[in-house]
Amino acid sequence: MSGNVSSPRVGVFVCRCGKDIGGVVDVPAMVEYAKGIPGVAHAEEDAFACSTTGLERIEDAIRSNNLERVVVAACTPRTHEAVFQSALERAGLNKYLVEMANIREQCSWVHREEPGEATDKAKDLMRMAVAKARLLSPWEDPEVKQNPNVLVIGGGISGMSSSLSLADLGFHVHLVEKEAVLGGMLRSLHKLSPTMRDSSEVLEHMLMSVEDNPNIEVHRSSRVKSVTGAIGSFDVEVESEGAEKEAFNVGRVIVAIGSDILRPQGLYGYGQDERIITQLDLEGMLRKGGVRGVSTVVMIQCAGSRCEERPYCSRICCNTALKNAQILRELSPDIDVYVIYKDLQTYGIESSALELNTKRKGVKLIKYQDNKPPVVTPGEDSISVRVFSPTINEEMEFNADLVVLSTPLIPVEGAPEISEMLRLPLDDFGFFREVHQLSPLEFATEGVYVCGTARAPKDAVESISEGLGVGSKAAENRFSRRRGRGAAFAEIDEKKCSGCGICIELCPYNAIRKDELGISRADSSLCGGCGVCAASCPERAITIHHFTDDQLEAQILAAVGRRSGK
Amino acid sequence: MTEYEPRLIGFLCNCCGYAVADLAGISRIQYPPNIRFLRVMCCRRVDPSMLLGVFSEGIDGVMITTCTLGGCNYIRNHEQVETKYHFTRKLLEKAGFEPERLALEYIFASEGQKFADQVDAFIDKVRGLGPSPVSGDSPDPGLLLNLRAAKAAAENYRLRALVGKEEKLIKEGNIYGEPVAQEEFDEVMDEAVESEYVHQKIRLSLLREPSSVKGLSERLGIDPRKVLEHIVAMRQLGWVDVQEIRGSSPIYSAVEVSE
Amino acid sequence: MEGSVLVIGGGVAGLQASLGLANQGIHVHLVEKAPYIGGVMAQLDKTFPTLNCCICILEPKMIECYRHPNIEVHTLSEVVDVDGSKGHFAVRVVQRPRHVDPSRCTRCGACIESCPATVSDDFQTGFEPRKAVYIPFPQAVPYAPSIDEGACLHFKGGGCRACEEVCPVGAIRLGEGVRVSKLNASSIIVATGFQQYDPTEMGEYGYNRYENVITSLEFERLISPYGPTGGELERPSDGKLAKRVAFVQCVGSRSHRDGVGVPYCSGICCMYTAKEAVTVKEKYPDSQINVFYIDIKAFGRDYQDLVNRARDELGVEYIRGKPGEIRENPLTKDLYVWYENTDTGEIGRKEVDLAVLSAAVLPRFENVRLAGALGVELDEFGFFRVEDHFLSPLETTREGIYVCGCSHGPRDISDSVTEASAVALKAAGDIRLAAGDSGG
Repeated sequence: MSGNVSSPRVGVFVCRCGKDIGGVVDVPAMVEYAKGIPGVAHAEEDAFACSTTGLERIEDAIRSNNLERVVVAACTPRTHEAVFQSALERAGLNKYLVEMANIREQCSWVHREEPGEATDKAKDLMRMAVAKARLLSPWEDPEVKQNPNVLVIGGGISGMSSSLSLADLGFHVHLVEKEAVLGGMLRSLHKLSPTMRDSSEVLEHMLMSVEDNPNIEVHRSSRVKSVTGAIGSFDVEVESEGAEKEAFNVGRVIVAIGSDILRPQGLYGYGQDERIITQLDLEGMLRKGGVRGVSTVVMIQCAGSRCEERPYCSRICCNTALKNAQILRELSPDIDVYVIYKDLQTYGIESSALELNTKRKGVKLIKYQDNKPPVVTPGEDSISVRVFSPTINEEMEFNADLVVLSTPLIPVEGAPEISEMLRLPLDDFGFFREVHQLSPLEFATEGVYVCGTARAPKDAVESISEGLGVGSKAAENRFSRRRGRGAAFAEIDEKKCSGCGICIELCPYNAIRKDELGISRADSSLCGGCGVCAASCPERAITIHHFTDDQLEAQILAAVGRRSGK
Repeated sequence: MTEYEPRLIGFLCNCCGYAVADLAGISRIQYPPNIRFLRVMCCRRVDPSMLLGVFSEGIDGVMITTCTLGGCNYIRNHEQVETKYHFTRKLLEKAGFEPERLALEYIFASEGQKFADQVDAFIDKVRGLGPSPVSGDSPDPGLLLNLRAAKAAAENYRLRALVGKEEKLIKEGNIYGEPVAQEEFDEVMDEAVESEYVHQKIRLSLLREPSSVKGLSERLGIDPRKVLEHIVAMRQLGWVDVQEIRGSSPIYSAVEVSE
Repeated sequence: MEGSVLVIGGGVAGLQASLGLANQGIHVHLVEKAPYIGGVMAQLDKTFPTLNCCICILEPKMIECYRHPNIEVHTLSEVVDVDGSKGHFAVRVVQRPRHVDPSRCTRCGACIESCPATVSDDFQTGFEPRKAVYIPFPQAVPYAPSIDEGACLHFKGGGCRACEEVCPVGAIRLGEGVRVSKLNASSIIVATGFQQYDPTEMGEYGYNRYENVITSLEFERLISPYGPTGGELERPSDGKLAKRVAFVQCVGSRSHRDGVGVPYCSGICCMYTAKEAVTVKEKYPDSQINVFYIDIKAFGRDYQDLVNRARDELGVEYIRGKPGEIRENPLTKDLYVWYENTDTGEIGRKEVDLAVLSAAVLPRFENVRLAGALGVELDEFGFFRVEDHFLSPLETTREGIYVCGCSHGPRDISDSVTEASAVALKAAGDIRLAAGDSGG
């Protein structure tokens, strides 16, 4: 029987796998049965199809029988599909023209006591695989050229770290910063926890490195106005103060827009008395040399965080308070410093050491309970801070000259705009929310990454880590990229599409966009092949290659047919 | 008479369902051989119309094994599997077919024994339900028509659009930004399903044999006023035509619609 | 790009670093001591705070690494010494024999069935035995057994060849020897992970004396669907379902007792305990769970949510107070946890079926030898020391040798994976630099 496009010649190879399959399933009967299945031009058995000799036999059989599709009834494709795909390629066939029937893990191994039924099931599975194989089409995973340049939005510590490392790799980096100077929050900090490193030293070093680097193009006083396109080719528009709009193309986008600090008007009297400040304010004072005329400082932790309004912990406030408390004691051993906390978030080695040193320097740590927060009453001479201490089971009162509130980090004003522009989801508090635990820097929109405090509160060291981390992600496949997800991808029939946009909303990869005519178009280089679009399209205009409706229906009919003798 | 053994089909998603089925095999956990699995990349691929087609072919039960949230590699819009499952069950019920013959099970790729237990339990359940009334050599013609009507309804634009938009309408709201309450949505959905299903039943019935309103009403067990409503609507769409007048009753026939 | 990077350690951080490099077109030598890759994460049940199934999300990475054309995985291997400098390291790696040819093995399992020798299963934290020829867990990569010479009768002088005789494809290689290779690398990434503190010395908790006092890693095996009990929380002494569970925090951490434990906070225990408590509550809604703690460290994204869920939604009782002592009823093997609730001041005694100790995160004992081989410094606890967090982040005291993950201190999976990507970028930069040096 000669093959043609509508009825390709299928070769079936049934693997015995020693006794693993052969000991339960009647392999010779399978081979005989296979010969009678429509479309099968050749059928044989093999002791170990995946062995070197087994594969050679398959390749020979393909060539000598002019086989156009292959079915291997053996073990699971999850481990062995790649092996047989390589065999097909060596024999001159497109690697996606093989379909496996799992008659081991999902048959002989689980129906050991019922060899007759297991054989029947194996026949059905083989028949299903043949039905699908006949409808398979070849596929070449295209390589898409990528623009190896990067846009970094935000010139704080994580943005700069990212830019420097990428520039060292030869990337051309567009670093867009909204302020007139780089540095972000780093400019306002005094010393960096947990090791008390001088913030200016770090800042100066990074600024110099950025200046010196010919691969980094800094756009100061600038904002990103629009980003369109997809991974490998994003068209970016940047607006600068007092200058013309700039447009350029990049392959990757890194969001490093940082965060703000909460200034909780009214909380513990903040905003009503200038002696009640935030830790950031204190950092500013310490930068200028310290605090004057102060003998008692009270710091209140979780001021505006880990509460109903903001249930999250801002991670860095305990370390920040301890660090600043320690510095105050170092500057003036006469100052009494009290840190009132709920749970001390000193995690890991260095923070634990910081905690110890801070206690050794005479800073007093006082725990308070969630339901009994401190009460702050500003007076003329001093501010009264009263708090119930469960440790001594009594209320304590301090007369503070300065009350420092450890308030949480909050997202910057520009976050929602960036979120919309780049289709990056935000969590309930406005921080960017990543897709998956094992990909904490990656999002549904491929090619766009977020690092630093824009993603979640963290300290400078962690921000640097993330800046480098996203740089690494951006550097992957930066000249050309293959999707590498097998042959399943969506194709939308433009004649049938009515532009309802449901596919766009449901696509987990943001792989579908509307063209100028309002027709949905799926980008096969982004598509993950999940099929939600096809199953949801009201016009049924979408085909999922390698898992088409026809192929699935053919498998189903093949499963039904045998029993009823059809 | 041979004892009835259920014939089942299953869908396994690549990252969880297929992986856990393999794991059961690797662990040599035994379960009955009644089920034939199809591999899909993700269970969101499974179209309700396809499921209804499967049941029309006489399969006794269908099992969908999908990722427990937290194991899924496609993460976003994971609820779509459940949305389509409920929609399919609604149509099965409409058709007078036991919705329990369709099962949706959640699994982690590491839970081999649980998977085997789920398969075992489902086979038992379907065994208890008896063979599908549309299986074998003499399938129940009424039910078969119903299932086919349900399948055609599942291919209908309006219903599919509602299913596709359900999540967004309830979470984010309609084009005016007003969130839609679940009960409100369900009401609209139920009405649409009923309407479209009856629509398709009439159409399929007329395709088989032209009939009067009274004849249709008797054949399908639907209120004649309702039948007339649908006939009128379908005439306007050009789906139905008057073939002849018999006595004083028009006999309608379905117009073959080319795809 | 020319040149390779050496990654030491095939846990989640090592895998991520390898993939990050390989996807930049850089060749990676991934050296792993165990016969499989995956590290500690393969032993864990779920992640926090998302409660993802660990092996479900880890397996694709393991497979991707093993199949990647740019990654050469060397299991059963250790680094013995390093010469050279950044850009031009020469590394000697010793590979112990697997005694099984993975390219031939079909996973039929006949060798395992035929093996007469058993030994305690480390992967299952000693809860059950395994054979001398074994696959540590069903999803292990490489997909082939290995022979533990220390347990195998053949290597102990018995002459047994049972596995070789039954193998249908001749995959057993009893004669395989140790292999020493010299690898070139322009930089080295240390991702050796951690091990858990053994709380035996803290006699007040009864670990190793009372069967039903276990560590959290042991708990993970009990609750895991591919653990010794198939995921049912059957307690060690009698297999009874443990419905009353006490979780004790900071066992060995934050210790200021001389010579006992470590002074630092292990960072991850509050969260893994919350996750464990939630897992038990969801599996057994009628269970009673107590967490005895000092501070709740819930500092990461969604961490506080998980704790709130455990405590407020599911009714896990959090008691602020480190237990003074755990005692055992010698007949029932039930446990009594004596504690002071420092919020209320009351002294109490909780009767439980099982006590789980959140034992401290320690550096791996191999770090000492490895640090010597690499010529880098360890900190006072035995973790790899980072010289300058800001200007040379994640770099050890020797240029071109980097660290990520728990090899330099306790951290969770998200941070480990982020750091792994970060060092991949640094190493890529080094290769470029080295290429520049040689004009290539």
